[in-house]
Amino acid sequence: MRFILFALLGMGLFIPSVHARPVSYPGGWTTMIMNNGDRHSLHLHYSPTAKYSLGYKLEYWRDGDYTINTLQMNNLLKRWNMPDAQANLYLKSGVGVAYSDNGNFDGETDLAAFTGIAADWENRRFFTSYENRYTEAGDIDDFYMQSARVGVAPYIGDYGDLHTWLMLEVEHTPEAEDNFTVTPLVRLFKDVHLIEAGVSNHGDVLFNWIIRY
Amino acid sequence: MKNLFLTTILVLALSAPAYAMHPGGTVNVDINGLVCDFCARALEKVFGKQEAVDNITVNLDTKIVTIHFNEGQSLDDETITQLINDAGYSVEGIKHDE
Repeated sequence: MRFILFALLGMGLFIPSVHARPVSYPGGWTTMIMNNGDRHSLHLHYSPTAKYSLGYKLEYWRDGDYTINTLQMNNLLKRWNMPDAQANLYLKSGVGVAYSDNGNFDGETDLAAFTGIAADWENRRFFTSYENRYTEAGDIDDFYMQSARVGVAPYIGDYGDLHTWLMLEVEHTPEAEDNFTVTPLVRLFKDVHLIEAGVSNHGDVLFNWIIRY
Repeated sequence: MKNLFLTTILVLALSAPAYAMHPGGTVNVDINGLVCDFCARALEKVFGKQEAVDNITVNLDTKIVTIHFNEGQSLDDETITQLINDAGYSVEGIKHDE
């Protein structure tokens, strides 16, 4: 199962064609490849309107050695468009199947679901966001997690330029042994590509790649 | 006289391509929520599907999107507002070129 996941992630890296928003413009497709110390994920979604997106998400959770395959729906609950800033409130939910390769649960398959809210505010200089999520995967796992980010752009780029953000992410997973993870990261954004890279206080690498087309 | 003739030719030569590029006129739209390249790209995608639109240019500093129309075509203010709302943004004002 892990091989399949890595193969899929590898394929994702070669899709030819951002912002990390869970809903795109009407008719827009998005591929999100996310990796950090806890998990690897691939999320492919389509936005029929600017209000919601539908997609498929594959996650591999490293500690529990299990995967979750879900159909995910993201809803833009509210957007605040201001003259020099924008804020958003989203509901992100998924239902599907979890499969474990780990110890007592080796070979076990359970129904899985998650839901959570995400909020962000940004202008061209500053960025802040918050996100939470509760996941239920039957006997395999259930957990709550939340994360927040702040960011600053060291320069203001014009449309089409390479945009750079310096960010700090704090993730809190109450049930985890190391329940706080702090990750300074760099976000680079140009054309349809958004790349984020950083290293956490636990020494784990964060690498995210988002492609909109 | 020769200089005047050459200058006139040069001015015409430089202005003709500009006219040919946007023969249908332009509209400037002041937009709220325009904070990033992705916002601009969303509007490009939405207006790019409109037959009346040749192309758009986006100025993130002024938050103004300039819509260049094809010859003999245009969109009314209501349609422009609806397209921008559908893309997830809001219109502050619309100004037609005179």
